Amino acid sequence: MRDYVIRRVLGMIPLILIVMIVAFAIFSLVPNPFAALIENPRIKKADIERLIKAWGFDLPWYLRFFKWFSGVIKGDWGPSLLYPGSSARDVIARALPVTIRVMGIEFLLSLLIALPIGIISAVKQYSVTDYVVTVFSFLGMSMPTFWFGLMMMMLFSVFLKRPSGAPLLPAGGIMTPGLEEAPFWTRFVDQLQYLVMPVLVLAFSSVGSWTRYMRSSMLEVVRQDYIRTARAKGVPERLVINKHALRNALIPIVTLVALSVPGIVGGASITEKIFNIPGMGSLIIAAETKSDYPTAMVGLMLTSVLVIVFNLIADIVYAWVDPRIKYS
Amino acid sequence: MAEQAVAAEKKKRSSDDYSYVGMVFHRLTRHKLAMAGAVMLILMMLFVFVGPLVWRADPNEQIPGLEGMFNPPSQAHPLGTDDYGRDVLARMFFGGRISLFIGFISAVSATLIGAFIGLLAGYYGGWADNLLMRFTDAMLSIPTFPLLIALASVMGKGMWQIIMVIVVFGWMSDARLVRGLALSLKEQEYVEAARAIGASANRIMWRHLFPNTLAVLIVSTTIGIGSSIIYEASISFLGFGIQAPLASWGNMLQNAQQFIWNAPRLIVYPGLAIFITVLGFNFFGDGLRDAIDPKLKL
Repeated sequence: MRDYVIRRVLGMIPLILIVMIVAFAIFSLVPNPFAALIENPRIKKADIERLIKAWGFDLPWYLRFFKWFSGVIKGDWGPSLLYPGSSARDVIARALPVTIRVMGIEFLLSLLIALPIGIISAVKQYSVTDYVVTVFSFLGMSMPTFWFGLMMMMLFSVFLKRPSGAPLLPAGGIMTPGLEEAPFWTRFVDQLQYLVMPVLVLAFSSVGSWTRYMRSSMLEVVRQDYIRTARAKGVPERLVINKHALRNALIPIVTLVALSVPGIVGGASITEKIFNIPGMGSLIIAAETKSDYPTAMVGLMLTSVLVIVFNLIADIVYAWVDPRIKYS
Repeated sequence: MAEQAVAAEKKKRSSDDYSYVGMVFHRLTRHKLAMAGAVMLILMMLFVFVGPLVWRADPNEQIPGLEGMFNPPSQAHPLGTDDYGRDVLARMFFGGRISLFIGFISAVSATLIGAFIGLLAGYYGGWADNLLMRFTDAMLSIPTFPLLIALASVMGKGMWQIIMVIVVFGWMSDARLVRGLALSLKEQEYVEAARAIGASANRIMWRHLFPNTLAVLIVSTTIGIGSSIIYEASISFLGFGIQAPLASWGNMLQNAQQFIWNAPRLIVYPGLAIFITVLGFNFFGDGLRDAIDPKLKL
């Protein structure tokens, strides 16, 4: 096991390097942000050239990559071009908590809803419940989030009003301006209202796929011989499901959960954009389309490295919860 | 008498009477959700391809002036008009053609590229396998959506560019799938026999291994069309996809978003169309997978 982990960790290094190079190569296609400054008569040409040189835009992209990479190794992740005056790290550090809050709540909520539903749906395979659950899971999985988001916004912010005439739920943002200094509970209730729609929109689609995973994993287990043995020797059905079947059915789910954790950090670009949430997803999209490659690269590297690390964690957890699996 | 009827019924239904394709088709027709998906898809195709023959309006003809804008549904414009006074129904037809075309072409190309890489890696093994699969792993670790948008924002806004962008980030799961299948298939005796009579590696890969992965690939393409349509719509929704005046469901939605307060119904149509189409492909793909092999994991 120890050798296995060491080998895997070493194997991660080339993987991360390839990811970095591919991402950087794609960003290098985004036009040079300083070239556009030439149009501005108030900026001196020499200044522009100095900027281009300082940023390495006079070099071909692979040399610029090394320039950026040596900085990263030294801990200097570069300044943000999108928010002048801030470093890429600060910009990311501001967006990260916002995203983790939305995505974390969404993640826990959808697991809490989806796993029991998936289990019931599998235990009562081909029942009406099962069909209803299946249809709803597919509805969730096929729902374009951008459309669902807009429809929710129409419902809760345009059509449904409070008695005072204000929309039932705020259409976007993360908190009401001016409430920064309010007492904790006021702030809590206020920010909760901003979370309802984005969390619902995101959860609807992930509940769909989690339910499907849980259902198929459970179905696979209840067909097996040892479940029949347990039933034959008279173990009560509740125990058969909750103890014998569920424990094994959860093994693949645990790995899937581990694999999905990096998504909490990556954010959801479209939903964040619709609801005007200043999180990682919308930040990365804004940074990369406006040539702010230091910010975009830091954001992307953060998620990709987490994906790679959690892949390893998933494999280790897999061996830990399932003694049948041995890595040599 | 009753027994005879049962026996006759059995004979009629017996899988032995069917070829492989016939058997899969038979199982598919008994799958309720797959049939629901098929009906949705057929209706959508009729809407998009036959619709314009029935309702002959020009999707780009504008009614100038304020009276043309945001007309509610009427006899002249069954779904009303948009901000330029264009007929929304006609734009739905032509936008749907673009969305379906992009979805179909990009899913098929991604599957073929994935199959090619997977076959090479699985058949040759060794360093080729290592190299190709490490690259596949790396591509899978990259958060797809942000890079998709980055690429789309620099590639230009044409239909073929968008197809390319979707393909670049869409082949990896098929590559893994086919590699796995190729690894087990190449150990089978008929492959050894083919090698013994001197078949070239290319011939073995494409004539002997590839056809055996086809069933699985058809399922993954069907589901892939749905997600490609969503990708196209997301790219267009963020403004990097198909550009006006050409319509796609995604850019109609993006356009309608600004007018959520004055014409909310403009948001409903294109989104509903995307939703029904994707749902149809998912239902149908799921049924197809069950019909081909219920144990298959995709």
